[in-house]
Amino acid sequence: MSFSELKDRHVAATAMVNTLRDRLNQKRQQLLDTDVAGYAKSQGRTAVNFSSTDLVCCRTLQGHTGKVYSLDWTPEKNRIVSASQDGRLIIWNALTSQKTHAIKLPCAWVMTCSFAPNGYSVACGGLDSECSIFNLNSQVDRDGNLPVSRVLTGHKGYVSSCEFVRDQDTRLITGSGDQTCVLWDVTTGQRISVFGGEFPSGHTSDVLSISINSSNSNMFVSGSCDATARLWDTRIASRAIRTYHGHHGDVNTVKFFPDGQRFGTGSDDGTCRLFDMRTGHQLQVYSQQQANNDQDVPIVTSIAFSISGRLLFAGYSNGDCYVWDTLLAEVRIIQLVH
Amino acid sequence: MAANGEGAEPEARPQPSHPRPLRRTGDFLGKHRLSAAISRLNQEIQYLQVELDELETMEPSSAACKEVVLSMEGKSDALLPVTPGPENPAWHRWFRPVQSSHSRKWWTHKGSDVS
Repeated sequence: MSFSELKDRHVAATAMVNTLRDRLNQKRQQLLDTDVAGYAKSQGRTAVNFSSTDLVCCRTLQGHTGKVYSLDWTPEKNRIVSASQDGRLIIWNALTSQKTHAIKLPCAWVMTCSFAPNGYSVACGGLDSECSIFNLNSQVDRDGNLPVSRVLTGHKGYVSSCEFVRDQDTRLITGSGDQTCVLWDVTTGQRISVFGGEFPSGHTSDVLSISINSSNSNMFVSGSCDATARLWDTRIASRAIRTYHGHHGDVNTVKFFPDGQRFGTGSDDGTCRLFDMRTGHQLQVYSQQQANNDQDVPIVTSIAFSISGRLLFAGYSNGDCYVWDTLLAEVRIIQLVH
Repeated sequence: MAANGEGAEPEARPQPSHPRPLRRTGDFLGKHRLSAAISRLNQEIQYLQVELDELETMEPSSAACKEVVLSMEGKSDALLPVTPGPENPAWHRWFRPVQSSHSRKWWTHKGSDVS
């Protein structure tokens, strides 16, 4: 086949992909007969009402001297690991507010951290394109620093996010600026699976966030600069199970909903969204109303759900943290915390 | 793919009447990359068609919205003013007095003035 014939085929295939995508979008729109807020209101549900003594700050953990980019709890919810661009991980006893470890990192540009399920190890990653594992029980070296016990190398871009697989201390998933996610065996340092990359197809831009399904640890979602979220099955690296469209900008953060059947996202487009994992439907948009359009809408940098899922906490680039009623899609508290 | 770039596969159309341009390494690499890109696009087309077919029998969003509402029924949540589910005694450890060398505050209970 000649070069020009191949080019023609490429053009035709591209046009077909675009046509099909448009049809898909239209069909999906037709299936959106209501959103969560519309349904909840039709059932007579009303928004959560907070008084001034509800949601009171009960601990302030002070110690970092730079921006805190990431944190993670132990499964028992009594200890926290936090990562800061002051170049340290700090392990906190959350009950007493005391620091148990302050780990000086080989690379200060850390973006993510995770606590191992057994509580003995922590992982972190960042601009060095590596994921470093520290064993909290190791002997410190001569300088009083905790040594790195394992380095996971292989990503060709920054490590934006990492999470230990909850029922397996030996497995970790990372998301990277190289557009891939990777499942690692922490004990050997080997990559078990790569999700995305040029072959097979996956995200078409940096992966910024991942979240593992707490109900089914074989499933995880990733959020990317390509404005999509994708669902992966760790047993099937060949292709994402589903791609979720809707956001108009980088998806900075993804978090599974407590029921394990939905997940939330936060984006540069200033909105959070709730997607249904199985069908791909966009169930709700959480969007700030802008009084004057000439102001930039703050971007969503991180989200978390309360344990029942009723509250959606969203952090924004202007320092605000909003507490959304997930069901009624209304902001119930605007809380300037920093 | 044959290195000489022609005659390796049957041509779908008759030869053009104008002379062929001289073959160059760049053309070979270009054809290889183009073929790979076309394969990926064809695969994408297949997956998109599968998804379109799926949507023919998929339930509308209201079904999932109902599940979201139901999923919260009776679930304990310490951060809500009134928890829909049973109170967990372990929550109280967060409101007991905490004194550390860095803290000057005593936190007695949830309702205390903490600002």
